[in-house]
Amino acid sequence: MSRILPLIFQNLTFLFGIGFLAPLVAQILERTLPSIAGTPWPLAVGLIIGGGWGALAQKTGRWL
Amino acid sequence: MTDLSVEALRALPAKELNRLEAEVAARFMGGLPWGSVLWGLGNLAIWLSLWPLTLSGVMPLWLAFPIATLNVALCYLPSHEAQHRIIAREGEPLFWLNELVGHLSPLPMLLPYGVARLTHYEHHLHANDPELDPDIHTKAPNAWRHLLNTIAHRQPGSATGGNYGKALARIGTDEARRAGLVAALYTLAYHAILFTLAWSGFAIEAALIWWLPRILGTTYIQFYLSWAPHHPAQEMGRYRDTRAFRSRLGVLLSSGMPFHILHHLYPRIPLLRHGEAYKALRPFLVVRGCRLDGL
Repeated sequence: MSRILPLIFQNLTFLFGIGFLAPLVAQILERTLPSIAGTPWPLAVGLIIGGGWGALAQKTGRWL
Repeated sequence: MTDLSVEALRALPAKELNRLEAEVAARFMGGLPWGSVLWGLGNLAIWLSLWPLTLSGVMPLWLAFPIATLNVALCYLPSHEAQHRIIAREGEPLFWLNELVGHLSPLPMLLPYGVARLTHYEHHLHANDPELDPDIHTKAPNAWRHLLNTIAHRQPGSATGGNYGKALARIGTDEARRAGLVAALYTLAYHAILFTLAWSGFAIEAALIWWLPRILGTTYIQFYLSWAPHHPAQEMGRYRDTRAFRSRLGVLLSSGMPFHILHHLYPRIPLLRHGEAYKALRPFLVVRGCRLDGL
């Protein structure tokens, strides 16, 4: 536990991208484009945007 | 009846002026501010009720989002009353209520009471000190720059993002260490809740009831509770580190902050009595050379 917690805090920005932004993007896509709901595409796009943005923010220290 | 006109007060010796000012201020202290208690707990109850109402589809998200944003904007001040032990002091029978409001009220903005109280005391002690005031990051030459600063402050690599942590480290007591630990637990719990909701199919609900309202609500709080009353934040000292000001939104919509100077002078005057207290104490503030900006 003492090793996991610092690891979580050090990578919280990236984790936020994967853990929150990715499903958020996916669910926005599913609601705005109901035809692709149920396919893997919304989640794939969500993971690319959320994970990518999170990784970039983690590296640069800036979301914007 | 004592003459409390500016002219009469100017003629008083310093000691007598101090005594009279404290005597007038004391008239507005004491009593249980039920308004703040109901405000804090009621506001939290409304915010909490948004979750079942939206998740069950009873309330549309377009309605829940502005309510949640208002809830966050309103959640700090009742806790602020508790931080100053205005609801009840240690040792008094209702101290538990003070602590209850202090802990529960700011949950929507995810501010642990211990962190808020300890860092806020530091803010009072060192208002506008560029090194020691934990809220100094809100200082900016104008409102627009302040808003840009708040965006910069929220970035993961921000130089000012750790101001409260640094203040707790400087305080260095067991209580401050405990507060830091609780803050870490709050952060973990917040992310765990957001991630769980998001991966359970409720990401949009979580974004519009907590994530975005928290960003918008705390932006409002930093603007009206910190930047505006301390602007330009260049002077230190009891009568110069805070100002009175006229707000475009009026007193109510700026959370009573046009009278914030009173709070720094007499932190135990309840917020809901600031208007009448300001009226009574204004001549003293004029004599002291406070910045009142026409209010």
